[in-house]
Amino acid sequence: MTVLEARHIKKSFVGVRALSDANFLLHEGEICGLVGANGSGKTTFARIVSGLLTPDSGELLLRGEKVNFRSRLDAELSRMAMVHQNLSLVPEMTIWENIALGREQTVATGFLDNRRARAQAEKVIESLGISLSVHSRVSSISPDEKQLVEIAKALAKDPRILLLDEPTASLDFHQVEALFTTIRALKNRGVAIVFISHRMWEVARICDRLVAFRNGETVGGLDFSVQPRDESLIVPLITGQAAKARVRKNREEREAQISAHAAWGPVLQMQGVSLSDGSLKDISFNLRKGEVLGLGGLQGQGQEEILMILAGYRRGHTGRILVDGKPLALRHTRAAIGRGIALIPGDRQKEGLFLEHTVLANLLYPKVSMHNGSFFLPLRNYRALAASAIDAVSLVPAEPKLVVNHLSGGNQQKVVVGKWLSLAPAVLLLNDPTKGVDVATRENIYAIISRLTREGTSVILYASDNEELIDNCDRVLIVFEGKIVKEMTGAEITEEKIVVSSLNVTHAEEGGHAS
Amino acid sequence: MTASRSIRSLTQDSSFPSFLMLVVLVIVNAILQPGFFSFQVFRMDFMTFTPLILVSLGQATLLLVGAVDLSLGAGISLVTCVMASLMQNNPMSIVLITLLGIAVALVLSLFNGFFIATVGPPPLIMTFATSVVWYGISLVLMPSPGGHIPEAFYGIYGRTLGGFLPVPVLVLIIALAFCLLLGRLRAFRHLYAVGGSERAAQASGINLVRTRIFAFLVSGIFVAMAALCVVGQTATGDARSGQGFTLNSVAAAIIGGIAFSGGKGNFVGAIIGGIILGLLINIIYFANITSFYQVFTKGVIILVALLIGAVPRLRRELSQR
Repeated sequence: MTVLEARHIKKSFVGVRALSDANFLLHEGEICGLVGANGSGKTTFARIVSGLLTPDSGELLLRGEKVNFRSRLDAELSRMAMVHQNLSLVPEMTIWENIALGREQTVATGFLDNRRARAQAEKVIESLGISLSVHSRVSSISPDEKQLVEIAKALAKDPRILLLDEPTASLDFHQVEALFTTIRALKNRGVAIVFISHRMWEVARICDRLVAFRNGETVGGLDFSVQPRDESLIVPLITGQAAKARVRKNREEREAQISAHAAWGPVLQMQGVSLSDGSLKDISFNLRKGEVLGLGGLQGQGQEEILMILAGYRRGHTGRILVDGKPLALRHTRAAIGRGIALIPGDRQKEGLFLEHTVLANLLYPKVSMHNGSFFLPLRNYRALAASAIDAVSLVPAEPKLVVNHLSGGNQQKVVVGKWLSLAPAVLLLNDPTKGVDVATRENIYAIISRLTREGTSVILYASDNEELIDNCDRVLIVFEGKIVKEMTGAEITEEKIVVSSLNVTHAEEGGHAS
Repeated sequence: MTASRSIRSLTQDSSFPSFLMLVVLVIVNAILQPGFFSFQVFRMDFMTFTPLILVSLGQATLLLVGAVDLSLGAGISLVTCVMASLMQNNPMSIVLITLLGIAVALVLSLFNGFFIATVGPPPLIMTFATSVVWYGISLVLMPSPGGHIPEAFYGIYGRTLGGFLPVPVLVLIIALAFCLLLGRLRAFRHLYAVGGSERAAQASGINLVRTRIFAFLVSGIFVAMAALCVVGQTATGDARSGQGFTLNSVAAAIIGGIAFSGGKGNFVGAIIGGIILGLLINIIYFANITSFYQVFTKGVIILVALLIGAVPRLRRELSQR
């Protein structure tokens, strides 16, 4: 039975067309994927369906009945739940308060029924297999736990239609498996599910059907009951181009490059670095010039801490860090930048960009902050630098005066990369740089990085997606509970090896899950 | 486990540092002020503390939803002027004009709230502008302080019920009961959510407009209570009588651990903050500080109090580096 049908939905925001012709069908007890590049309108569509936005035109039918956008019925909205990409959690409230938020139940006197809300929250948290106290504040839990709480919040509504907007972006494969189990159980109970994701293998695995959006338009779909579950069928739908062969690194070329640079010695050395809170224990490694070193493993095992220490954000470590053989005292982010270490953060909206400022301003901040010498800034000089940076990252549109907020997500991420180019960094730290970025932009960003390494820049890459490590790294270190448990180079780097060593199977607790 | 959690949650409460500060100030005050613990002094102190505590509660409500009201003081002045210029010596008039005073306070607050929630000017700007308007109306009504408040009205405020319960304290108890009741309402939970994260609140299906107007309504109720107390205390209408309350109430709420950015803190903090500011004024008076230095000293102490109130936040932020 068709539970949801969207016809010719259009929606524009101030001057920007988000959806031009969105069509969608969803049946009971089915998981339908929704794929598309950044800015193709997936999130806008989900927000329209869940009643947060009103479309400019078009119609939406729920179980055959036309929806009145001006006044959506509570009864109809209450059976619909959305897992938001930018999380709908209030940080200063506890987990149970957040789970009940917006649909709090009251006792006969009109007062809140907190006992029931807590019991409900405990039940749904438990059903997802999360070990968290519902009394914890959301601000005190990790990003992946927040994502799981966000999912719990949607499930607590006991919806008939569930919209998941990139629910897996901050989860590791372990948690993704658990989520898939939950989603399949819901599907078997007749819940209709829309699954939005940039990870093609996930879509191919979990969905019964998929619909692709391109530039705000429905451009096609796949039905896995008659078509093979093949990722290479999906990508052309998204990009509109014939499938390209995956850009795997030419190993021989890489080997030759590294051996050419090997004579230079290590650029960066970490020697016995630990953090007092136990999140890092005795981390030692060398980074060679022109090398791409991957950090892998489950989420939150200390990979980000390593990057944060090197970037000068996280202080108070023991052990030594050497750059070009000279010890480095990281008392301030400026010290790191001064020695040529630049961090490209994963959360571009929070840490990487000034959203309300222009592309030009964003590109120049690192340069301006490191400026020494003349009282006035050499602006003419800087504009030329910005122009070359825009060129280097092939920003679309190549317009320095544009406010960053108006760019698509992928292009925003290009600006984050581009702003460090003017400083010609010796070491680039990448913290999950392609999180929530579409396939085309991802390849573009890695192409830029690959070019930089040929010019002698070294890269430390942390990615939650194992494929990115396999495709781009010369060497991968697997981190588990703050320790490096495995090092693999070249052809050794395979999905299977990464998964096995990430789980550190010798460890008793994790062993059960891995089998 | 429950006990240890409640003790830990007590020390981690946003109002905990201000509570410690309060204990210190009470000790200092007791040393400086003769007969601090006597009933008479207690009664007199609360006559001055109560209005500020009430205004602080009103301001706290708005800070929690992510707004602020700079017109609270001017609103109180306007209520005193309306009441003092209309009230006559008969019971009927006293009751009607009291109700009118309450109504004026609510209307002023709702006017701000309605505009801020629907049209969306920044609360700081909107309420600054309306504060000037309220002040202007007060000056038209009462160019110089005066008017008439019957003894039958202002006498109540100085009375002690049953020989142990001063009316200002009774008013505070009523306010406290009101706070407890609010804490159990759905709309109040939504108020925290909107202040904590507007986007998340919206995504959770919370009506932002309604929640903001609700906050201004609650604030109006506290301010109405405060205005009646001020009339009872001064027995005159004065276009400047409320001036000091506006920023003192913001300071009190923030000293009490309520975040200026919204969504964090509680009413207990606002009450403690209000008492702290009241005690400060007492201490400066009794410490025999030359009048030229009184304002300076008060300012410095408020600054220190604000910094101490910020300690838990700073500590948390530093630990995350």
